Amino acid sequence: MESEDTQCLMDDIDAMFTDLLGEMDLLTQSLDQPTVVPEPLPSTTEMNYSIGFTDLNESLHELEDHDLDALMADLVADINATEEKLTAQMKDQKVPPPPSSDLPAPPKGLSTYSASSIASPTSPASSTGSNVSTPASSSASPLPPPPPQSAKPTMEEIEAQMKADKIKLALEKLKEAKVKKLVVKVLLTDGSSKTLMVDERQNVREVLDNLFEKTHCDCNVDWSLCETNYELNLERIFEDHENLVEPLLAWTRDTENKVLFQERTEKNDMFRNPQNFYLWKKDKKALKEIKDRDKELLVQENFCGTSVIVPDLEAVLYLKEDGKKSWKQRLFQLRASGIYYVPKGKTKSSRDLVCFVQFDNMNVYYGKDFKTRYKAPTDFCFVLKHPQIQKDSQYIKYLCCDDAWTMNLWVTGIRIAKYGASLYENFKAAEKAAVSSVWTNRSTPSSSSSSTPSPTIKAKSPSQANGHAPKPQPGPVSQDFGNVPPPPPPMANILPPPRPDAFLPPAPPPLARKNSAKPPPPQRHLPTNFPPPPPAMDNLPPPPPPPPMDDALEAPPDFLPPPPPAAGFGSLPPPPPPSNSFPPPPPPGSFGSMGQSLPPPPPDPGFLPPPPPQPVFTGGGDFMSELMLAMNKKRST
Amino acid sequence: MAAWDLSVTVEDLGPDAPPVTLSVASDLHVGGVILKLVEKTQIQRDWSDHALWWEQKQCWLLRTAWTLEKYGIHADARLLFMPQHKPLKLGLPNGKTLRLLVCFSNPVFQTVMGICRQLNIRHPEELSLLRPVEEKKKKKDKDSTEEIYDLTEVPLSSASRPSLYNGMPAHFADSPQMEAIYKMLSVTQPPPALRYILFVSELDCKISFPLRWLDSSRCLMQQGIQDSDRVWLRFKYFSLYDIEPKYDAVRLSQLYEQARWAILLEDIDCTEEEMMLFGALQYHISKVSQSEPQMLSSSAAMDDLESALQSLEVKLDGESSSASEMLPCDCFRPKRLTLKGYKQYWFKFQDTSICYFKSKEESIGEPIQQINLKGCEVAPDVNVAAQKFLIRLLIPASEGMNEVYLRCENEQQYAQWMAACRLGSKGKSLADSSYQSEIESIGSFLAMQKTSSGSHGNSPASDESINTHSLVSPRYHKKYKPKQLTPRILDAYQNVAQLSLTDAVMRFLQIWQALPDFGLSYFVVRFKGSRKDEVLGIAPNRLIRIDLGVGDVVKTWRYNNMKQWNVNWDIRQMAIEFEGNVNIAFSCVTADCKIVHEFIGGYIFMSTRSREKSDTLNQELFHKLTGGHEAL
Repeated sequence: MESEDTQCLMDDIDAMFTDLLGEMDLLTQSLDQPTVVPEPLPSTTEMNYSIGFTDLNESLHELEDHDLDALMADLVADINATEEKLTAQMKDQKVPPPPSSDLPAPPKGLSTYSASSIASPTSPASSTGSNVSTPASSSASPLPPPPPQSAKPTMEEIEAQMKADKIKLALEKLKEAKVKKLVVKVLLTDGSSKTLMVDERQNVREVLDNLFEKTHCDCNVDWSLCETNYELNLERIFEDHENLVEPLLAWTRDTENKVLFQERTEKNDMFRNPQNFYLWKKDKKALKEIKDRDKELLVQENFCGTSVIVPDLEAVLYLKEDGKKSWKQRLFQLRASGIYYVPKGKTKSSRDLVCFVQFDNMNVYYGKDFKTRYKAPTDFCFVLKHPQIQKDSQYIKYLCCDDAWTMNLWVTGIRIAKYGASLYENFKAAEKAAVSSVWTNRSTPSSSSSSTPSPTIKAKSPSQANGHAPKPQPGPVSQDFGNVPPPPPPMANILPPPRPDAFLPPAPPPLARKNSAKPPPPQRHLPTNFPPPPPAMDNLPPPPPPPPMDDALEAPPDFLPPPPPAAGFGSLPPPPPPSNSFPPPPPPGSFGSMGQSLPPPPPDPGFLPPPPPQPVFTGGGDFMSELMLAMNKKRST
Repeated sequence: MAAWDLSVTVEDLGPDAPPVTLSVASDLHVGGVILKLVEKTQIQRDWSDHALWWEQKQCWLLRTAWTLEKYGIHADARLLFMPQHKPLKLGLPNGKTLRLLVCFSNPVFQTVMGICRQLNIRHPEELSLLRPVEEKKKKKDKDSTEEIYDLTEVPLSSASRPSLYNGMPAHFADSPQMEAIYKMLSVTQPPPALRYILFVSELDCKISFPLRWLDSSRCLMQQGIQDSDRVWLRFKYFSLYDIEPKYDAVRLSQLYEQARWAILLEDIDCTEEEMMLFGALQYHISKVSQSEPQMLSSSAAMDDLESALQSLEVKLDGESSSASEMLPCDCFRPKRLTLKGYKQYWFKFQDTSICYFKSKEESIGEPIQQINLKGCEVAPDVNVAAQKFLIRLLIPASEGMNEVYLRCENEQQYAQWMAACRLGSKGKSLADSSYQSEIESIGSFLAMQKTSSGSHGNSPASDESINTHSLVSPRYHKKYKPKQLTPRILDAYQNVAQLSLTDAVMRFLQIWQALPDFGLSYFVVRFKGSRKDEVLGIAPNRLIRIDLGVGDVVKTWRYNNMKQWNVNWDIRQMAIEFEGNVNIAFSCVTADCKIVHEFIGGYIFMSTRSREKSDTLNQELFHKLTGGHEAL
């Protein structure tokens, strides 16, 4: 099958190359008249909105539609690019063309993945990006005939004067054409789900921002994306800086794995309660009473220095022995360089430690229900494994702790060791986003979200590029759809600023909290903290400190009150959502109708109980054409 | 007022010259004495740096407006007239020795500030001076060969920040010799010889080290340091503040040297894995610093377009050719249980995958299998002498890891395939720009192994053939043979091979700082109410109490909970009160109480630094925190 495809690919090379040239041509044209691009945008925006208003479901499933549109744009462009051959192949062979073309190892995972319950239309999407073959080689392989150097001359032939930036643009295009995309179904806490398109370059933070936009949640820092592994009963919080597509590509064909959108307090607990991790040896009562300034100091000390300090954990944990059912106790230590254990009869000195695992190709997961499943001593288990491994294997390390506290300590400690400073950066970024969203939600409750426009644009722009923007006839329509997502956000973005002015007073609090309460205090605390020890020198009763400096100390606390108000704002958003979702309130009836209007496409199947994935997959060939049909039908209505 | 005779020895007249006798009255101020003295010597020169040193009282008479009476000087006083700045032999963290003029009359804290100004080291408060270990005479060979870099010609400037020229202080740009000294200061040294490590490790010891620190609040003369004596300059307080590679060339390289020695001498404990990584980083740093022309300010970034084009070119090149040439053939066999045989296949490397065919002829068709290497583990299994070149691949799949062995025919092929596998495991294709350099470094590691295993023969004595033994502590010399050590270091090396010099140094420092025992200075103390000696560890943010018998940390106190501390100098006891009514007291067994006291106060001072104030050092606060009542 694969060889066939490569054959087919070869055949297509010519066509694709002409395409490429044509594209460059168009590009240069568009460069000459830059207005061309902007023009379509406004109209698309309008269109989008009109749809949104005519069909109430639309707003609920706004996302799905955008995605479908984008998808369609890609598909159509793709199909055109490879001409009827591909389409013919699709129909004749009933083979999902993209998956099959998706080359060997990784693609396999990809196509299977697409069939999974989560992301039905995935494979088409991703393969679109790659134009038939593996994303990586796709755009390049057609090129060989006229390698890059010759690409230059060719262009010169076509257009006598070729400017540098044009090539650059073309290069970027080439790059973008390779971008993999997935359509991901994300389960929300209320049991519903959202489906969104994620491209390879997007990190979890951007996806979260997208989800904030879709769900009108309160955007607090605890919102997380988690992956579950059905087969192994595992669960893991994605870190905000991780790319989402990559780990999802590791999922197997018929996987029941899921992506969840949840509030998880443990995600950032090391910044809120650093004492639990860095002073874990102290008794728990003392830890509860620790002062805020001491917490801040701990965060500063451990995350803001030249290197991130990993909590020095040490505990007897149970280890499930390779391939066996028994659990054995061992004394483990966590260090920045990995997890170690103390061999029997040896001292705890560093040089005697034996390396148990390093973190390069390892992720840490929470294990669920291991007591019954693996006969673990307790249910507080965590697991270390290569992200690629999806099934039980001797290469998975199963560890079991005495209690939940210990488990959290270790999982968090391992995350700190593995990701280091990124975690703190993520946290700060999330905090910032949360504050700004509180702010924007408050000032413009009606506009769904302005906090995330830029990521959205970034995220979506590839899709636009991917759609082979300036191209064949069917393109225009679908492309415009593809372009839809970006426009709205900018508008939303423009709105908020004016409002704030009106509400000036409230504005400061969040800011004040951010600016004053954050970095400065810690440093300031210090001096005051130790009674400017000079007095101590005097050998006796140095009245602790509080000279003038103390004011500085008090200052932050004074600033602290504002947060409450800020938090108040935070609580405000919830109300908005209702009003916010004025487009959403989806009459159940129309909901159903919507489902009908879009029979085969992904959203529907994806919506409720994950349907048996296989059908979707095998029907892939049909699926594509059906998808097109559906889209057309929908548009005509 | 009655006049009396005061005799003063003038150093400039020579050691044998008799003291000059002046007729003075008690109400004469010190400035007047000096004036009289200078007139009497009849030497024309700049006397401005000179001052009087009172030998019995061990103090400088620096307040020229004070009268002799006020100082309490009588006819029996032995006074010495001499310059305040004198040459000193300064041992640097990198093992080199400088000769430079330093101030003998100010507290050591200020003397260090002056030294750091000359050497262009920011944040002098983190460094201090200590007495060198007395070197045993039997190691003569070392003394004789030691080179001393002379900086005594550098004019003493009072500017707080020397003006920079070519990225170095102006006084280093004066002559080629001076420039060479700056290079010595700012460029990391090649790994030391094993013999030297052993030599130094005999001398050094964790516990004795901190006892030798000089007192920051007293001057060099008061601490018995004489003209041209040798002292060491070292980082003392490990709360390293505001490191900025742009300005900190000397600081970073000296810090790196100190860290490297701490690790080689096992002053700080680390695990085997960490040691290998330190070794790999040292190898990389020395390699890069030898090849990379220093002071080369990163040339204005290449034109965007050009580089973009170039990278595309490489990419396309690699990708297109990867379908045909690029792929030498290879033999291999997936290890099936106990089967040992290898079967020959035709291999191709494509993007980040390997695929194999029955034969070359079939390589146009469908491969038997294609395996993506992304995220896989690559381990070498090489024995140059036996001509064994195996690459062991642990390739992740959803069911677990697949074990695959590739056997190469020769070094050349091995280096290429190894490099390709490494890149593949990182998700990079052969077109990646690092491919060639990866091949080279693998080649050079093979060469290392050759030279270390087969000592005879004319091994290429290039700088590539660094002895792995100089990269790890002596413990590992004993534990492993070179041919065991080399692959392990190479293994760690693959993760750092792409770092720039600065990044590699920073990484080294980061890993060092991440060690659990980082920044700890140890003192033997006896806690109040305890009958045995224990160890007090002083870290940048906390005090720890260590049980000598077990070596376990018994208790930790953090400075930020500290309310006050007192010193009872008579019984050499320190008492510290923490929040929550926690009181501890201990007496110092080995060290001078002052050293311990200064350490704690010093760290508290370090934590008071903040960005706004960082330009001017609050010396007064430092002395207040560290000096004890006897200071000031």
